[in-house]
Amino acid sequence: MSVIHHSLMRLPGGWQLPPFGIHQVLALVIVAVALWSVGIIWLALQGGEQWVGTWQDEIKVHVYVDRNQQETMATLQENIMDIDGVDHVRLVSDEETQAWMEKWLGGEGLDAVSFSQHLPASLEVMLEEPRVATVLDDIQDVALAQGAEINEDELELVEAGDVLGTIQNLAWFATTILALAMALIVSNTLRMILLARAEEVHLMRLMGAKEWFVRLPFVLEGVLLGVGAGFTAWLLMWPLVWFTYDWQSNIGIDLSGWMLFLPLIFGGALVGGLGALIATTNIVSPETDS
Amino acid sequence: MRYKTGKVALSGINMDIPQGSFVYLIGESGAGKSTLLKMMYGGIRPTSGQLEVQGTTIRDASEHQIRALRQRTGIIFQGNRLLHSRTVFENVALPLRAQGWNAERLLPRVEKVLSFVGLKDRLWSYPETLSGGEQQRVAIARAMLSNPPLILADEPTGNLDDDTARHVLDILSALNKLGTTIIMATHDLHLLTSHPGDVVQLHKGVLVTGRRQRRNP
Repeated sequence: MSVIHHSLMRLPGGWQLPPFGIHQVLALVIVAVALWSVGIIWLALQGGEQWVGTWQDEIKVHVYVDRNQQETMATLQENIMDIDGVDHVRLVSDEETQAWMEKWLGGEGLDAVSFSQHLPASLEVMLEEPRVATVLDDIQDVALAQGAEINEDELELVEAGDVLGTIQNLAWFATTILALAMALIVSNTLRMILLARAEEVHLMRLMGAKEWFVRLPFVLEGVLLGVGAGFTAWLLMWPLVWFTYDWQSNIGIDLSGWMLFLPLIFGGALVGGLGALIATTNIVSPETDS
Repeated sequence: MRYKTGKVALSGINMDIPQGSFVYLIGESGAGKSTLLKMMYGGIRPTSGQLEVQGTTIRDASEHQIRALRQRTGIIFQGNRLLHSRTVFENVALPLRAQGWNAERLLPRVEKVLSFVGLKDRLWSYPETLSGGEQQRVAIARAMLSNPPLILADEPTGNLDDDTARHVLDILSALNKLGTTIIMATHDLHLLTSHPGDVVQLHKGVLVTGRRQRRNP
């Protein structure tokens, strides 16, 4: 007799969906929590990427030279260009500086031209990809040697971008490990269901059912369980997004829970399906090892 | 037929059962009746010799051929083996559901076979609400659903009183008159008088008597 208490879902014609009992609900909760953890990791990465901005795609560093030392600019430009890993060095024109100043002042009617004359002259340094490890230190050394300054905030952003890259690799690793763990949880749950329905499986085989027909309900159940867990995890993302709204505004990021909808649903379906495949790889019935 | 343990279950059996026969397999417990029936639907393969059922040579048949054979064979199991968490409809529909039929096509077919065994009004009941005889009739309905040319019955009257057993035999005989071959393992020898058929007697895995026995040339 089955020890699993089911809530049966009846369909027209008397058929039932695969029974969804306490074991499946528990598995759904566990997988949902695991998917939620994965979602949080990727949500945090999303925030980090927004904070770093476009720097990850095109890294630029600005070197500033006092206007009364502007005669050293050409030499500095050449010296920086000689550094291994520097792709291009460009002198930022006064017009560009004025335009930036106007934008920064926000069109308040202030005299952007005279303000910009107090700004240092700047060189825009673009780096080669992949980035040479020592290039930032070398630029800083050359700049300091010639009395110039490098934009420290930009260096911090580059370093933050590097850290994000490392975190992203770790996130993939954690996602893979958690996915395998989730698949095993689904697999274990379905094995229990299979044991409870062993007689039905056996009978179907004795009546000439094809193997895919015997296994399909369990695979569908695994996928359904994964999708349910993915949707639950996605719903649980929203309180986190809402509770951190003020903090997000302060640091200028805008986390989107919607972006995680499809990854969580498909991710859930994937681990559910994988778990079901593991569970149904070898369903042994008596009298079938012919 | 030799088990992996080395025990010989069946040996030296040589017989031919024509289509449309009603055959009783008799013999003491452990004589090999159930083993022979299992071999006939490919549940066990003979380790030597030849067994051909409905054109399928069991020993060499592929999984696909065994599946096809089972789709053309109705099986009534010892102890009926109904699924108690499923309705009568679901139990009876199982063979054709396994062949991919949808519920709309199945319903009239299931109603028809349940009418044949006199249980049409129990379509949505659960097996545990039925008597032993009714459960056995559900098992017969399940076996005949796909209109198979061969029905294998393993002790279908084993747990039934005489009247109910005779009623079950009436149904099987009616199926036989419609052209279905019935091979039935039984201990109830008194049924042979009320429902005559060919008798194949086994003793310790060896054929003792059999009207259809074919002599070796």
